[in-house]
Order: sequence, then structure tokens, then C-alpha cells
Amino acid sequence: MSPAPREAVIALVDCASFYASCERVFDPRLEDRPVVVLSNNDGCVVAMSQEAKVLGVPMGIPWFKLEPVAATQGIVARSSNYELYGSLSARVMEVIGRHAAWQEVYSIDESFISLRGTVEEVIQAGRRIREDVARCTGIPVRVGIAPTKTLAKVALLGVKRSAPLSRVGVCHFGAYSPTQRDTILASIPVTDLWGVAGRLGRRLANLNIHTAADLAAQDPGQMRRRFSVVLERTVRELRGTPCIPLEEEPRQYKDQLIYSRSFSEPVTTTPAMRQVLSIYAQQLASRLRNAGQEARVLTAWASTSPFATDQEPHSPQISAVLPVPTAEPVTIARGSLGLAELIRPGTRYVRAGVVLTDLRPAGQAETLPGLGPPGEGRNLGPTLDAVVARFGVGSVGLGYGGLGTPPSWQMRRAMLSPRATTHWDELVTVRL
Amino acid sequence: MLATEVRALAEGLGEQLRTRVNDGVVEAGFPSPSQDYTTAEIDLTDHLMPNRASTYLVRARGHSMTGAGIWDGDELVVDRSIRPQHGHVVIAVLDGELTVKRLRIEADRVVLSSENPAYPDIAVPSLSDLRVWGVVTVALHHVSRTS
Repeated sequence: MSPAPREAVIALVDCASFYASCERVFDPRLEDRPVVVLSNNDGCVVAMSQEAKVLGVPMGIPWFKLEPVAATQGIVARSSNYELYGSLSARVMEVIGRHAAWQEVYSIDESFISLRGTVEEVIQAGRRIREDVARCTGIPVRVGIAPTKTLAKVALLGVKRSAPLSRVGVCHFGAYSPTQRDTILASIPVTDLWGVAGRLGRRLANLNIHTAADLAAQDPGQMRRRFSVVLERTVRELRGTPCIPLEEEPRQYKDQLIYSRSFSEPVTTTPAMRQVLSIYAQQLASRLRNAGQEARVLTAWASTSPFATDQEPHSPQISAVLPVPTAEPVTIARGSLGLAELIRPGTRYVRAGVVLTDLRPAGQAETLPGLGPPGEGRNLGPTLDAVVARFGVGSVGLGYGGLGTPPSWQMRRAMLSPRATTHWDELVTVRL
Repeated sequence: MLATEVRALAEGLGEQLRTRVNDGVVEAGFPSPSQDYTTAEIDLTDHLMPNRASTYLVRARGHSMTGAGIWDGDELVVDRSIRPQHGHVVIAVLDGELTVKRLRIEADRVVLSSENPAYPDIAVPSLSDLRVWGVVTVALHHVSRTS
């Protein structure tokens, strides 16, 4: 008998209820309890543990609606602790990466890796990854394995469906017979597939394509002509042909950058709005520069609460074409400040944002002497970043964003757990 | 990601070799004797927490482990990649709390022992009942509080 083939396969490693799991690492009392994590300013539920899902807590429910019943159901709420989640994500990804020659970090809680071996060997490798990540970081992960990325996601759905709370957490698509595979694909709605969003799902439903099996049965060329090359790849991948390679590098160049936040307290004056916009602009400039990009078009907007009944709704917006593509903070701040002149003083605005579009790699445009942005050549962006890195967010800012009283509209995180891995003063206490 | 690192490493090495040829041998004639000794300053994290991804820092409160050299207010380095063994100082989960004790695995029982006569040991019914959160490798004790 010939030895079983040692095929190259793709594993999708996914953190189970990542935000809630992070909250549990330093607070074991939360284990087995329903945990929900709230959005910026403790607005609504953006993540929850499996126990909370079982209770039927709807994703996105505003906290003020859930709060009255939370205590009686034993639900624990936490503000979003982005510092902690980012830190633990980096640790999880590093430990996963040790198990594979190739790794693509797909999101804060998902990573594709390549593995090679017989079905049994690869399943064993998946179990080792689970054990290693849980021991080293405290975060539970699940592993879906298949010949293609799309099927690896299908295998992962299998893990989640079969026993969400159990300790079994590895599924290899190749471990099933062809008949069983067809049954699995027929059980998966097409909109659960990787890269098939809601609108595309509705268009497919019109063609009587409802499940992954329906889609796999389509002619790939026809899917490309009717829809896109992306959907053609999905069809081929469902049939077991790898079409979407592992991306080693993080996807570098994005099409747009957005910085938008709800305020903890409404902003009602032009000076306060200027302060908001200056700070947002500084944040965006920093992100843009870190991505090695420049922006040409800027849009800034603000809005009132859709729930407020005692005032006229107002959502002013401005767009500006910047003089040259730039990541320079002064230019971006100036571009966005025009919005502050459009607000109606006294009206309560609850949210604002700045969006940069028409992005391109930095350093491509030539500037005539004297026509460049005011901060250009003075290294302003890197200097601001260096000061912020050393002394913390809010230690230095542009113009309106810089001095004076700390803004009252900053993020509310009333139920924030300690930022235990990034802040020396917030280390978790252990009992002696 | 690994391949990226390898590439970065290879490029870094190539750069070093080039630099050495240009600075040391070919142009200057004699290599500077000090340049072979160029190295980075000691970084405490390299020595105290070699496994960054699996190491957490916590702050200790209480008095039950003075015999092990752990005092109230010390910071502890916890390396979760280490498999707990008899004799390790560990952080165990007791009633949902993270608790520091010495792990003693004996023939007929498992004990989480205190290292201060004023505090009791805690008997664990069996190894399977024990949840170890991590192994404490280092205690940082401040001897002159300057601020």
C-alpha cells in the first residue's frame, strides 16, 4: 500500500469570540459567563462570548437597552479595550506563525497558514496550534483546514456549528468523503462564504443559488461573466482548486482612510468642533504616513443624533481637494477645519469623521518650490508622532487640538478592564 | 511572514558585509580593532522575558510568599510557555482569583504552598482540578523607591 499523500493545505486559525476571550485572560471569573463588549463610548454591543449568543443577545443592541436586564441574566459588559486586544492579537499571531513556514495575518483574530502532511498529520498540527496558543496566550483558537482558503473557511464554519462550546476545535475538509463534503456544502448558506456579501447574496438568490453547493455547481466562466473574477475564484476554490494565494505582506495600500467617532458628550460650539477636527486630522496623518501613503481628497462631516426629537437633524459635510497629495498634518487639519464653520452653534452634534480618499504611495508627486504644504520639509508629522509615542496621546497637538482643557467629548469607557499589557500602571494584581 | 523575516535578515547581512568591506578592509587598509566588538546595550527584556509572546507582567499584593523572595508590590514576570512542574512558583486560578503559590506535586497529593509560616497551604484534590495560569520566573523587587 502506498503511503498517504502529504499534500499542501491551508489552515484558517480563528480566535473564538476574540474580544470576550481577551477580557477573560486576566479575569478568570468571566469564564463560562456571558460577556459582551461595547463599542466606542459604550454605545452598543459589538462582540460577545458564546454564552451571550446562546442567551440570544442581539449583536448591535444599544447598551442602554441591554443594561436593565444584564444583571439578572448574569451578563458582564466591558468597554472596548483596544490596547489589550491589539497586544494579545500580536502575541496570538506570533505563536501561530511558529507552526508554519507561511503565514498571512488576515485580521485581528484570523490568520491563514500553510501546512503540509497527511490528513492525520495536519489534524495533529492543528491540535498542537490550539494547545500552544491557549497555553502561551490564554486565547482559545479554532482551526479549519482544506486545500483552498474558501474551503478552509467552510471547515471553520463546521467547527463553529458542530460544537461551539466544546473542546473540539479542528476540522479538516479532506477528512470527509466526497458525499459528506457535498452534504456540508449544501448546509452552508452562500452568504456565509468568504467574500460573498449581502447584496451579492441577493443577486445569487435570484438565480436560485442559495448554498455553497449551489455555487460550486455553477460554471466558473459564466460566474466571471455575470459577476466578477472574484466569484469565479470562489467557485473554483469550492471545487478544491487554490486560486487565492497566501499574502505574505499585509495588504498595504488601502483605498481610503476613515477616522470617525461618537462623542461621549455632544459638541455644540465651533471652537469645540475645531478641536475635534484637529485631533482627528493628526491621527489620520499619522496613520497615512505609517502606511507610506498620501491623500489627495478630504471629506469631513458631523451629525446630530438620529434619536434626538427636540432639534432639527443636521449633518454638515465638506469635501476638499488638497493642493498636492500629502500626509502632512497641517494641510489635512486645515482642509477639515472648514467643517467647523458649517455647524449651527447650540445644535448638539454626537459624531464626526474625517475621510481621506484618492490615496497613493508617498513621494510620487513633485511640488513646485513654495507651493508645497506648509509643514512639508519640516518633518512635522514624524515629530508629532515621536512626541505622542513618548508622552502619550493628547500630549501634543496641532493648533486647536493641542492646548487647553482636555476635550470633554473624548471616548467614554466606563467599564474598561486594565490595559494590562501596555500600561505599567494598569498591571493586573495577583494575590500572594 | 517568516519568509519576509528571512529576506530582511539576508538583506541586513549583505549590508553588513558590504559595510565592513568598505569601511574596514579595502578602503581603510587596517580594520579598526573596536569594530568587531560593536554591539547593542544590554536589554533587560532579552534576559528577563526571552519569550515575549507568552510573557505577561503582573503586580503582586500580599505577604504569603516572602520566603520565595516575593514581596507586596513586586512585579512578577510570568512565562506561560513553561509547563508547570514540582517546585515552580506558579499563578493558580483559585475561586476565580489569580493566586501565587509554590507548586508541590507529591506522591499522593498536590499542594499549593505558601512561603510564610503565617499563611496556610492549600491542598488540591487532584492535578486535574488544578488550573495553573502561568509560571513565575522573576520577581522585580524595588529596593529604593525614588519616585
